[in-house]
Amino acid sequence: MKLKHSLFTRREFLNGLLGGWLGALLASFLYPVIKFVFPPTREPDQVILPFADFRDMSPGSVKNFLWGTKPGILKKKDDGSYMAFVGVCTHLDCNVSYLEDQRKFFCACHDGWYDENGLNIGGPPPRPLRRLFLSIEGEDLIIKREGGERAEDQ
Amino acid sequence: MSLRRKKFLGTFLLISFFLSFFILEYNFAQQVTQEEQEEATQAKEGQEKIIPSPQNIKESTGIYVFVAWMWIAIFVLIYILKLKIREVDRLLKLRFLSATKK
Amino acid sequence: MKTGIQSWLDERFGLSIITKFLKEKTVPQHKHSIWYYTGSAILLFFTIQIITGFMLVFYYKPTPEGANESVARIMTEVPLGWIIRSVHSWSASFMIAFVFIHLLSPWLSKSYRKPRELTWMSGVFLLVFSLLSGFTGYLLPWDDLSLSATKVGTDIPRSIPLVGVWVTKFLRGGEDVTGDTLTRFFGFHVSIIPVFMFILLAVHIYLIQKQGMSLPLSAEAKKEKVREIPFWPNFVYREMIVWLLLLGILFSLAIFFPPSLEKAAELMAPAPEGIKPEWYFLFLFQTLKIFPAKIFFLPGDTLAVLLILLAGILFFSLPLIDNKPAERKGKIITIIALVLIVYAVVMTVWSLL
Repeated sequence: MKLKHSLFTRREFLNGLLGGWLGALLASFLYPVIKFVFPPTREPDQVILPFADFRDMSPGSVKNFLWGTKPGILKKKDDGSYMAFVGVCTHLDCNVSYLEDQRKFFCACHDGWYDENGLNIGGPPPRPLRRLFLSIEGEDLIIKREGGERAEDQ
Repeated sequence: MSLRRKKFLGTFLLISFFLSFFILEYNFAQQVTQEEQEEATQAKEGQEKIIPSPQNIKESTGIYVFVAWMWIAIFVLIYILKLKIREVDRLLKLRFLSATKK
Repeated sequence: MKTGIQSWLDERFGLSIITKFLKEKTVPQHKHSIWYYTGSAILLFFTIQIITGFMLVFYYKPTPEGANESVARIMTEVPLGWIIRSVHSWSASFMIAFVFIHLLSPWLSKSYRKPRELTWMSGVFLLVFSLLSGFTGYLLPWDDLSLSATKVGTDIPRSIPLVGVWVTKFLRGGEDVTGDTLTRFFGFHVSIIPVFMFILLAVHIYLIQKQGMSLPLSAEAKKEKVREIPFWPNFVYREMIVWLLLLGILFSLAIFFPPSLEKAAELMAPAPEGIKPEWYFLFLFQTLKIFPAKIFFLPGDTLAVLLILLAGILFFSLPLIDNKPAERKGKIITIIALVLIVYAVVMTVWSLL
């Protein structure tokens, strides 16, 4: 029975209460399920490598390193400084390769091209290769995900 | 007391009720985390057995709050369900009576 | 809006038959009605097993190298993974406990008599599959305790003459427990057994709906009409209360008493001390222990296994044996049933001492 001035009947109120509390309880159960099914990102904040492995690179060449679960590319420029990229194509996540004679990065999946600084110059990739920030401290080469420092160092 | 005052008092009591759990569990959880951390370090040294436990105060407090909230919700739901059962049984009785009358 | 969707589906599925049936279904109310809640409790725990099982299978690696380490990862790295695993482990015990409670009711009240013979028999199969689910799941963490338990458990059928060796080979995927056993058990636990359980559940539940709820002998003898309440919504609301309480107890136990994980199993290592199976197998375990090594000319464990097998077959065929429940045969069977229940409890307790 719905009184004229009430928004809903007593039965509707009780049903709403039941549904509401049930929903709250189930939502609180849902939270751990969501956290479980979507684990936190696995990318490292920084990677420390022995500089000795990279000191004797010839200019214009690249060396791979492990960036969490992705491939990282360390490139020595002509002036002796280094650049670090995440070696994953910005189009659809394929791993890119470096063609030393052409000085370009190439993605074989859909014919994507990047120049020697990682800028996307041909094919479908929408953005340049992702840059990582590096610094050399003593014997260590430190590669960081984010850095206030300059992207390159001597 | 006016209806408004009653609502304020009611909400205040409810919030302080929940908060008190928080405060109680904070104290409790500190004790418990110490014990659990000891167990965890023992386990790491032996590397024999993994005994799961919350890692920090945030996790253990969260767990206690969750369990408390879960039981509160369950008791509230049981109360509401009892009301629903009373209503539905009453309807059943009425329908029976009205059927037999005719 | 709800009726719109309902009628849309009904035009295509013909669901109104089911909804009409559910609206008219009634449940008898008498002093033994509490047993009626056990069936849906099992369904609740089974659903929890499926959901937590889905989640665990996202991270579990079913190889000898990866198994223990992946479970360790679930318990330490994956956010709140230890709670999911704990709920899965506890819900398994709860489900099997309620399966035992659930079978007590038709067993002692003889509800398996005509026309409910197939309901009983499908139920016995469901019991066996639930126990097998527990057994296969127990190996998956691949720690030294579960490996030894599996070695013992899969060795027991070997005592059966003629076919025993083949049963053991079938379970183990070879002569011994190896990585192949793990893969096979994973397949059983995650795929093969659930498929059969779903089919059996469908048969079991269909039969119950078609034949209606049975009444205990005492109520039938009175031959008066028993008070009945509608399934929806009266009985369902009462069931919900039971579910909520069970959920609360399950989660509280799972959060405060989570299972641990021993180190990874080594196939060549000697058995660790104090191995025993899960609690639902303890009475069988103890039975095997008390049998002497040789009785007359038969080895003790062969006799024990054959006796257990015979008991199982008789248990399964109970509706065909006990077809005149009110007479002397029926009374003897009830006494035997009570003796067996006491035996199982005593054996379980004894094995824990």
